[in-house]
Amino acid sequence: MAHELVCGVDVGSLTSEAVLLKGDEIVSYSIVRTTHDSGESAKAALEKALALGGIPEKEISFVVATGYGRVIVPFAQKNVSEISCHAKGAHFIFPSARTVLDMGGQDCKAIRCDATGRLASFVMNDKCAAGTGRAIEVIASLLGVPLEEVGAISQRFTGEVPRISNVCVLFAKSEILSLMREGAPVEGLLLALCQAVADRASVLLKRVEVEKDLVITGGIAKNSGVVRAIGEKLGIDPLIPPEPQIIGALGAALFARELLSRRARSSHLASTQ
Amino acid sequence: MTLGIDIGHENVKAVLMEDDLVTAKVVFRAAGGVSRTAWEAWERIRALLPGVGEDPPRTFVTGVGRDAIPWCQGRPTEMSCHLAGAKYWIESVRTVIDLGAEGIKVSKGDPSARLMGFVLNDRCGAGTGIFLETVAEMLGISLEAFGEQQLMSIPPIPLTSTCAVFAESEIVGQIHRGVPREMIISGVLEAVAGRVASLVKAVGPERDVVATGGVSRNKALIHVLERHLGIPIMVPPEPQLMGALGAALLASGLEVTVNGS
Repeated sequence: MAHELVCGVDVGSLTSEAVLLKGDEIVSYSIVRTTHDSGESAKAALEKALALGGIPEKEISFVVATGYGRVIVPFAQKNVSEISCHAKGAHFIFPSARTVLDMGGQDCKAIRCDATGRLASFVMNDKCAAGTGRAIEVIASLLGVPLEEVGAISQRFTGEVPRISNVCVLFAKSEILSLMREGAPVEGLLLALCQAVADRASVLLKRVEVEKDLVITGGIAKNSGVVRAIGEKLGIDPLIPPEPQIIGALGAALFARELLSRRARSSHLASTQ
Repeated sequence: MTLGIDIGHENVKAVLMEDDLVTAKVVFRAAGGVSRTAWEAWERIRALLPGVGEDPPRTFVTGVGRDAIPWCQGRPTEMSCHLAGAKYWIESVRTVIDLGAEGIKVSKGDPSARLMGFVLNDRCGAGTGIFLETVAEMLGISLEAFGEQQLMSIPPIPLTSTCAVFAESEIVGQIHRGVPREMIISGVLEAVAGRVASLVKAVGPERDVVATGGVSRNKALIHVLERHLGIPIMVPPEPQLMGALGAALLASGLEVTVNGS
């Protein structure tokens, strides 16, 4: 019973992920672009994960959906908030995790969990683009740099970091343009951007009273510039999962596993009565 | 003769006054360092008035980076200047809503237009001129056309994001869904007016209320804002010049005390 195949689906604002879990093993996973239809995006993620693992859909025993589009996933038996899922998923990869910073495309969450990976408290910013993936997206496209390369390129810079005084991304755009006109190098501006995003994240982390170990999840965890800047600001070496983008879906799959075994126990109880 | 210079994020404004009358004014796009920009404002004014000497008259500078101008005699705040400028046109002014490119500032003045209190948003792009400019560009219309919108019969499509950057993508979605342009504009005006109104309410507006700054030329926005506040709003001619005009008036030292000089 403990080794049934379960699935977690995370429908985020920019990408959707699916994780297939059997016991403690991630059998397959996928990351797809979220479209305007949450249900379709979830389906696409699931189908891709099944195809990559060569697994027929009927083998899945339980599906939990999470993410902002979680309520419209037709094939999920249950949905769980992405905050609980990130705590659970991060704790599964790093049992020492007590703080999780989930840096997504449109929001940023600082989450505290207990020694069992259960959510203790959180603060989030989903109202302002500063400090979210959107800020990096907007500025990267302004500077003509591919999003995935922002971190690496920023780390090449060694000079004095240009100062971006605006927090608001809309204002920062014009500030960065004028810094460019004054001859500021792109690498330096990208480093300033990474540090600015790290500043916003640190504000959230301080509000939940960050405790070691700190795990960073979400797409921005792949940005070495932001991760390094957060580490330097807080004096903590953040832990990064091998695939930080699937931690929400992994957490959902772990909830699916838990719910399934609870259900199995109660039906076992019912049949013995 | 006195000179008032207002260094904005988008535009630099300068007004030359003599005997309580405006004798020259310029508005130009801000470019380069603040200190060079302020001097350029004087040179542009001088070019309009042949026979004026090289040395600037008594000059007050307000706006961004005014502290970096060593040669001026005073550096009053934008709030004091907008109050003084608004009073020049509308004697009864007690509240000024300065709608600028990069910020919204609401100031309350006493009967002599001395600054009594203010609330400002200069950190967030929501509801600012740059946001409206971005939206106009996305919709492919001019800022002027934006302000000429006929509102009476057009229901707004609500804008749920506060953040200007998130609102941009929300509007892209609306355009893709085929929402009529007029409904999008109505929605944006509602959102911006709501944002401004909450700042105005925070200072407790007293009549008369005057709107200044470049964005106050948007008639449709002023109309929606009046509805949100339930108070009539007056807009002086050339509202974008009020900061510079106020600086020039304050430099003449007639009645208003000056902050920061």
